[in-house]
Amino acid sequence: MTDRLRFIWPPILIGVLVLAAWQAIVVVQDIQPYLLPAPSLIAENFFGDVSLMWGTAIYTATTAFLGLVLGTIVGVIMAFLAQRFIVVNNLITPLAAGLAAVPIIALTPILNNMFSITSRTPRVLVTMIIVFFPMLVNVTRGLVQVQPVQLELMRSMNAKPRTVLRILRVPNAIPFFFTGLKIAAPLSVIAALVAEYFGGPQEGLGSRIASSAANTAYGRAWAYVVAAIITGLVFYLVTIALERWTTPWADRSRSA
Amino acid sequence: MTDATQTAVLAEGVWKIFNEGQSGEVTALQDIDMTVQTGEFVSLIGPSGCGKSTLLRVIADLTEATRGEMTVAGVTPHEARQKQLYGMAFQQAALFEWRTVRRNVELPLELMGWSKDKRRERALELLEMVQLSDFAEHRPWQLSGGMQQRVAIARSLAVDPPLLLMDEPFGALDEMTRERMQNELLRIRRETGKSIVFVTHSIPEAVYLSDRVVVMSPRPGRITDIVPVPLGADRDEDTRESDDFFHAVTAVREALRGRVGGAEARARIGEV
Repeated sequence: MTDRLRFIWPPILIGVLVLAAWQAIVVVQDIQPYLLPAPSLIAENFFGDVSLMWGTAIYTATTAFLGLVLGTIVGVIMAFLAQRFIVVNNLITPLAAGLAAVPIIALTPILNNMFSITSRTPRVLVTMIIVFFPMLVNVTRGLVQVQPVQLELMRSMNAKPRTVLRILRVPNAIPFFFTGLKIAAPLSVIAALVAEYFGGPQEGLGSRIASSAANTAYGRAWAYVVAAIITGLVFYLVTIALERWTTPWADRSRSA
Repeated sequence: MTDATQTAVLAEGVWKIFNEGQSGEVTALQDIDMTVQTGEFVSLIGPSGCGKSTLLRVIADLTEATRGEMTVAGVTPHEARQKQLYGMAFQQAALFEWRTVRRNVELPLELMGWSKDKRRERALELLEMVQLSDFAEHRPWQLSGGMQQRVAIARSLAVDPPLLLMDEPFGALDEMTRERMQNELLRIRRETGKSIVFVTHSIPEAVYLSDRVVVMSPRPGRITDIVPVPLGADRDEDTRESDDFFHAVTAVREALRGRVGGAEARARIGEV
């Protein structure tokens, strides 16, 4: 327990010091809010209407979550196909790499036209495409990168390919799955948020950050940014909790 | 003609040629004749590239012989693998880290469709044999290298096969652990009466464990000599310091150096 505390205290201390210095600089130098609002102003806006912050964050988090789940499902299915059929693998890999190179966010206006801009659909799609890639790459690696000696062992025990998949490849891929998810989860929040910058329903964090900034409500804009940071952090921490819970065997080699 | 049912392994004119007829053709095994009697402990020894591991893999049906006849426990290697007539251990323990020690030992039984209770009972029995009962619910990485290898041996014994195939199982262990493991293996062999084919590149190890040492030579991989080790069935730490042991080590060393028969040293074994 004391070990844990020793890890927790330094970052908190530094965070408090940075905030204090920030506040001091803004006050002493009389910096205007449009350049840099004081932490006190941001906090005032944030806590001034917590339920609004909460509702806004929930809207974007829902988009992110839907995109994350769908992208993960598609990524995992493709990974299984890629592992099973070399043809699929040869087809998917360049395609997925190409997809990763496309600035997906830039597709949002197009998707907005293709699907109803008033719905959540185009944003979920953008999030899904962004999530799909790290999931595909990591899960495929986990399914394929098993120790050769473990494959020989399975063969010596007369295991069929399907049994090898179930007994060896899938469990082997689970830590890789979480490596992908740890990248994808915070990314899904960013994607969902940025996708909101291109019009559509105004309930989300991205929309509110944009409109607050446009209305010179800088303290409020920053308050939404704080809410966005918290949302991303929650996604990441939930992923880590899930990982700890499902892969207790990997405790020794794990780093956050 | 040797009766196939009396032998654990019977190889007659076995060849293994990689890339046959192509530019990169390699003769890994050339005209191998070898017999392992039921209950016998035979080591395969030789420098890297002599085909000792390939020969073991042909026996295990992990690769197929290009030519020749191979019989394992009276049937083809393929049938032997399907019927699980052999258990196998490798240089790496190859334990599944997401499984507990006990569930690693249960793995072959699980694949054969044993019930949960019977699996568990058998695994605990085997862990007792390799003296790891206290570690049944540990994870593999919580164990030392030697302990992990004991788990792998327990796993190879799980379905109670008549034959054990071991590919340098102690190769990655330090000398002290290695000698302890050799004693363990001899004890397990006495208790179970298994036939064992054991690949190694350690001369003392081959001599200490085996009834016969098959000496192999590379390019092309072939058997150059078979050295009998008349040290009897009861071997212990004192055996390692006996003159007979020393003579047998010399005989194998001579054979490895290509002095066919290692005549002088062989004569000394004969005197025993």
